[in-house]
Amino acid sequence: MKVTVHIWDLPLRLFHWLLVVSIAAAYITAKLGGELIDWHGRIGIFILGLLIFRIVWGFLGSTHARFVSFFPTIPRLVAYLKGRWQGVGHNPLGALSVFALLGVLAIQVGTGLFANDDIAYEGPLFGFIDKSLSDQLTGWHNTAFNFLLGLVVLHVIAIVFYRWAKKTNLVVPMLTGKKQVPKVLAETVISTRPSGVGALRLILSLIISCSVVWGVSGGISTLYPVDRYQQTAQATPGF
Amino acid sequence: MKKIALTVLLTASATAAISGPVEEQIRFRQSAYSFLGWNTGKIKKQVVDNPESFNKDYVAAAANAIAAVANSGLGELYGPGTDQGIGWKQTRLKPEFFQKKDEVTAAANKFNEAANGLAKVAAAGDKVAIKEAFGKVTESCKGCHDLVRIKE
Repeated sequence: MKVTVHIWDLPLRLFHWLLVVSIAAAYITAKLGGELIDWHGRIGIFILGLLIFRIVWGFLGSTHARFVSFFPTIPRLVAYLKGRWQGVGHNPLGALSVFALLGVLAIQVGTGLFANDDIAYEGPLFGFIDKSLSDQLTGWHNTAFNFLLGLVVLHVIAIVFYRWAKKTNLVVPMLTGKKQVPKVLAETVISTRPSGVGALRLILSLIISCSVVWGVSGGISTLYPVDRYQQTAQATPGF
Repeated sequence: MKKIALTVLLTASATAAISGPVEEQIRFRQSAYSFLGWNTGKIKKQVVDNPESFNKDYVAAAANAIAAVANSGLGELYGPGTDQGIGWKQTRLKPEFFQKKDEVTAAANKFNEAANGLAKVAAAGDKVAIKEAFGKVTESCKGCHDLVRIKE
């Protein structure tokens, strides 16, 4: 006896698919370069916003979006590997992948804010550090991407593996939010479920992530202007 | 004996005048690219980031500086063995540079064309045209970086 339950709330699903598109776009714009590097920077800031939202949503979101509900503790991991784990959200192994992805993404976005491309692009917070430190962080930005790519590949392989070996479709629930689960499990889900997506909690999460985006994309530089060479027209000396 | 020594000395100094020892070549080219970076930065600020601050003469001067560096014959600074050595800092030239001469030449010529094209439109002062020409320059920078420059 199976019933349909809601596992992924709409903000979570939007986050997921926007992230997929953004990462692809960030990759393409970085590879093509030229004028597109500015778009790479903008997309990066958007990804920062997504990331901050996801972190806040990990505390304020509905049940299966919350970090506590799927944090990969050792007992949970052991139970899962022995086939004794029961649940409907992220399984403990998948949860490891979630935290790894969020962590690498944070490094990627964080270093990108201070990076430069030695051509004409400087990350929005470049002015706050030395060029040599920025070069080092740019190196990390390049290296971290390989880890990100590795995790994405692993993520896709896992989806294919679940589809063919375990006959579980993971993609459809991420699109619709709904999943077919055994009735017994469903009852435990519903009984432990908080009120779902609260409008107030959603607004609060959006405010926090938008504030961070505003801060790095211009707010901080406006409040604490850094203009190393006074590169403004009126400051041009006569020689 | 004296004559040989003199010949050696003259040859050595002549070679030094043309290209210089490895470290000197590396230092010159690092200086050239960092000077380019200063000028691309100026154009970027006034044409892309804050178009309202656009100053025709200021941008034209920067574009001329870029074209002058491009036309100075930078290729001379890539003598044999210059994939190893410290100029202002360790060079990031890939050893493959010496096997990819044709590709490098093509990429470098693209930069020269783009730089001269930028100087031309910068003299005319049309902001939109400058932005486009500037995009071609930054693209051409990346062409060489991707080809023969070791990533950070």
